[in-house]
Amino acid sequence: MDYLYHILVLAMIFSIFAMSLNLELGFAGLYNFGHIAFFAIGAYTSALLSLNGVPIPLAVVAALVVAGVIGAILARFTLGLTGDYFGIATLVFAEMVQLLLLNERDITRGPMGLPGIPRPAWIGSGPESLVWFLLVAGMGTAIVFLLLQRLANAPFGRALKVVREDEFVAQALGKDTTRLKTKAMVVGSVLAGFAGVLWAHYITYISPADFTLNETIFVLLCVVVGGKGTNLGPLLGGFAIVFFGEFVRFIPIPSEFSRFVAPLQGMIYGGLLIVMMLKRPQGLISESRR
Amino acid sequence: MGRITGSAIGILFVFWASAVFAGTISVGAVTPLTGKLAVYGEGFQQAMLLAAEEINAAGGINGDTLEIVFEDNNSTSKGSVSAIRKLITIDKLSVVFGPAASSNFLAICPIAQKNKTILIGAESAAADITKCGSYVFRVFPSDLLQGIGVSELTTALGYKEVVLTYVNNDWGVGLAEVFKEKFTASGGKIIDELAHAEGKTDYRSEIFRIKRHNPKAVVNLTYIKEGATILKQAYETGLDVQWLMGSAAKSPKLVTLAGKATEGIIGTYPTFSQDSPVLQAFKAAWEKKYPGKKTPIFGEYNYDMVKLAALALKDAGSADADGVKASLMKVSQGYMGTTGDKSFDEKGDVGATYGRWTVKDGAITDYR
Amino acid sequence: MTAYYLQLIVNGIIAGSIYAMFAVGLTMVYGVFKFINFSHGELITWGAYLGLMFTSPPFSLPLYQAAVPALAITVALGLAQDWFIYRPLRQSNPVSLLIASIGLSYLMRNAIRLFWGSDFQTFNLPVARGLSFGGIYITIPQLFMVTAAVVFLTILYLLFTRTLLGKSLRAASDNMELADIMGINMTRVTVTVWVLASVFAGTGGILLAMDTNMDPMMGMSSLIKAFAAVLLGGAGNVWGALVGGLFIGIAENVSVAFISPGYKDFISFALIFILLLFRPTGIFGIKGGVR
Repeated sequence: MDYLYHILVLAMIFSIFAMSLNLELGFAGLYNFGHIAFFAIGAYTSALLSLNGVPIPLAVVAALVVAGVIGAILARFTLGLTGDYFGIATLVFAEMVQLLLLNERDITRGPMGLPGIPRPAWIGSGPESLVWFLLVAGMGTAIVFLLLQRLANAPFGRALKVVREDEFVAQALGKDTTRLKTKAMVVGSVLAGFAGVLWAHYITYISPADFTLNETIFVLLCVVVGGKGTNLGPLLGGFAIVFFGEFVRFIPIPSEFSRFVAPLQGMIYGGLLIVMMLKRPQGLISESRR
Repeated sequence: MGRITGSAIGILFVFWASAVFAGTISVGAVTPLTGKLAVYGEGFQQAMLLAAEEINAAGGINGDTLEIVFEDNNSTSKGSVSAIRKLITIDKLSVVFGPAASSNFLAICPIAQKNKTILIGAESAAADITKCGSYVFRVFPSDLLQGIGVSELTTALGYKEVVLTYVNNDWGVGLAEVFKEKFTASGGKIIDELAHAEGKTDYRSEIFRIKRHNPKAVVNLTYIKEGATILKQAYETGLDVQWLMGSAAKSPKLVTLAGKATEGIIGTYPTFSQDSPVLQAFKAAWEKKYPGKKTPIFGEYNYDMVKLAALALKDAGSADADGVKASLMKVSQGYMGTTGDKSFDEKGDVGATYGRWTVKDGAITDYR
Repeated sequence: MTAYYLQLIVNGIIAGSIYAMFAVGLTMVYGVFKFINFSHGELITWGAYLGLMFTSPPFSLPLYQAAVPALAITVALGLAQDWFIYRPLRQSNPVSLLIASIGLSYLMRNAIRLFWGSDFQTFNLPVARGLSFGGIYITIPQLFMVTAAVVFLTILYLLFTRTLLGKSLRAASDNMELADIMGINMTRVTVTVWVLASVFAGTGGILLAMDTNMDPMMGMSSLIKAFAAVLLGGAGNVWGALVGGLFIGIAENVSVAFISPGYKDFISFALIFILLLFRPTGIFGIKGGVR
C-alpha cells in the first residue's frame, strides 16, 4: 500500500505544481518556463529554516512568503516582455536559481543536498507516516483546487482571461493589466512554493539535482496534456503523467533493454508535447467558452 | 498472434513452475540503469548477477534460488525513492542493494531505516551515510578514509602547496572537504580551490586558472570522463603538473580517453590484495561469463555485497529483516571478500587500506 | 600575467566563433518565422553524433568525408522539423510553436540517448600538444574551428548581399506577408533558411565535438549561449549574432579569472536576463543594417 500512497502523494504534489503553473500559463497567458525555481525556493526555504530549528508551521509560512516575494520581484522585471521573451527570461531565471543552489555551499550545502528534513511532530517524523502525509497532501490539493476554482470564477479570473486574449481590450475596459498579471504570478509562485514545501518535507532530502529543466518539461506536460485554462485539467494531468511514469516500472523489460526505457519515455513526453500542440492545443479537458 | 500467446503462456508456466518447485528468495536492487550514471550501473548489475549465479550454482540459499529484483532509479533521488517504495511494498523485500550516487542513497536511507529494510551500498562513499541508521550497511569505505588517504599521499610526495579542484557533486565536494581539513591540519597549503561542473566538455578556463598559480601539484578529485577531459585539455595547453587523484578516476577508460596526457598521474584507491584467491576466482568467473569485457569499476564491491548478503540470508534462515541484520553483522566479521576484510563496525561501515596507483606506459599500475 | 588574460581572450574568441555559428541559424529562423526554435540545439548535437556515426564502423570514413553525409542528414532533419511541425503551426501563436519546439528538443535529445547512450563520445582524435605562440596555446582543431567559422560566415555574407536569394531572405525577415504579396517565392525562402540553419548548426556541432567531446546535452548548453548571442545582437540580425557570439565567448572565459568557475554559465544566463529586461532589441540592433 505504501507504494500506492507514495505515488498518490507524488501525483498530488505535482498536481498542485501543475495547477499553480496553469494559473499563470492557462489563465493569464504568461508562459513561465522557470516555474521550477519557485518549487525549489519553497523547498529550500522551508527545509533550511526547519533544519535550523524554526518550527515547521513557521518555516512553511516563511517559505510561501519568500516564494511570493521573489515571484513579485520577477514579475516586476519581466512582465514588460512579450510572450516568448517572457518564457526565455523565466527559463533563464530558473537556471540561475539552480546554479545558486549548487554553488552557494555555505548556505545550501551545494550538491550534497539537505538530508534529514523534519516533518511536523503530529504527522510522525519518519517516512512511515505515509497515510498522514497523504491526508495532508490531499487536503492541500483540495484547498489549492478550490481556491483556484474560486479565483477562476471571480472577476479576477475572468479579467485575467480577457488580458490573455487581448491585452488592449483589457486596457480599454479599464483593467490594470500589469497589476492583474503580477497578482497571478505572485499567487502562482506561492502555490508552486507550497508544492515545493510538501516535496521537501515528504522526501526529507533535497538537492539541486531535483530542480532541473527536466522537471519544468514534466510539469509543462501535465498542464498541456490536462488542458490549460481549466483547473481540473492540470489536476488530472498531474495524476496521469505521474501514474504513467510509475506504470512503466511494471512493463516486464529484459534487463539488457532497460537502458532504453528512460530515453524512450523522454521521447514519448517530448512527442506528446508536439502532438498536443498540433492536434489538441487546448488539452484533454478543454476550456468552456462563455 | 497464436505464437506470441503460446510463448507468453510458456513463460508464465516457467515462472509458476520455478515458484512452486523451487523456492525463491528475492532481494531488491535500486540501480542506475538509466540516466547519467547508467554507464556504471550496467557494470554493477552484471557483477551482482554474476555473484547471484554463483550462489545459485552452489545450492542457493539453503536450497532456495536467490533472485535479484532490479529497479531503475533514473540516476535521480525521485527515481530512487519510487524504486525502493516499490521494492518494499509491492515486492515485500527485506534486503535492498542501494543506488550508486551518495545523494540518491541518502534520499532513500531514511525510508529503509523506518521500514526496517536492510539497505546495503557498494559504492556510496559520502561520510553522511554513516549516520543513516542501524539497517544501513555499506561494503565501500567512507569518504572520510579516502580524504585522509589523498592528504597523506600529497604530504608523502613532499608537496606543501597544491591547487585543489573537484567535481561539483556530492562525491567530489564531500571528498574535497575531508581532504582540505586533513591537508591543512598537517601543515599543507591550498593555493586555490575550484569546483568544476559535472559533465562539461570544456574545462580550459578552469585549467588556465590553475596554470596561473604555477603549482607543482594539483589535487583533482573527479570522475573518469571529467578527469579525462581535464587531463587532455591540460596537456594540450601545456599545463605540466603532478596530478593527484582519487579512486573514481582509476579506470583503463581514463587512459583510453586521454592517452598520453595521463602518463605519470598518481592517485589513491581503497586497495585489496590483488592476488587473493577470491579475487582471482572472481576475475576468472567474470572472464567466463562476460568474455572480453573488463571488470567494471566497483564491480568487486558489488560482487562482495551480494555474496555477503547471501551468507547472511543463509545464516538467518529466513528473510526476516532483524534476523538478517544480526546475521549480516555476524557473518561479516572476518569475512574476506574480493575487496578484502568486510567486517562491519557498529555503524555498518567497513575499514579500508589505501593503495596508490599511477599510469605508466599507458597502463594503470601500482605506484611505489 | 598578461599571457593569462590574452589566453582567456583567445579562448573566448574561439568559443565565441562557434557560438556565432549557432546563433546565426537561430536568429535567421527567428527573423523569418518569428519564433524561438528550441530544437535548434538538437541540430547541433545531431550534426556531431552523425559525424561520429559515419566515422565509426561500418562506415569508418575519415572525419572530413563523414561530415558530408552527416550534414546532409542534419539538413534533412531541419527540413523535416519545419515540414511536419512548424509549418502546420505557422498560424498559431508563437508560444504554441515554442512549446512544440521544447517538446521536439526533448524528443531529439532522448533519441540521441537511445541510440548512443548518455555517456559522452569522442572522435578519438590523437591527444597532442597545442601550438604555443609566446605562451598562448591553441590546438589544431581550434584553429580549424576559427577558420571554418570565418569561411562560413563570409559565404553567408556574400549570399546575403550579392544574390537575389539573399535579398528575398532579407525581405522575408522584414515582413513575411508583404514579401509573399510581392511575389517572393516563400517556399524557396523557407527551404533556404532551414538548410542554412541546419548546415551551420551541424558544422558547428562537429567542430565543437572535435575540440572537446560530445554528449547529449551539448546542444542544449550551446543553445543557451547562442540565444544570449542572438539577444545581444538583436533578434533577426545575422551580424549582430556574430558580434554577440564573440562577446559571450570572451565574457564567460575572462570571467573565470574573477569568479568561481561554477558560475561560468551564470554569466550568459545573467546577460540574457539583463538584456531582455533592458534592451530587448539588442545592443547592436542597428536599424537598416544588413539583416
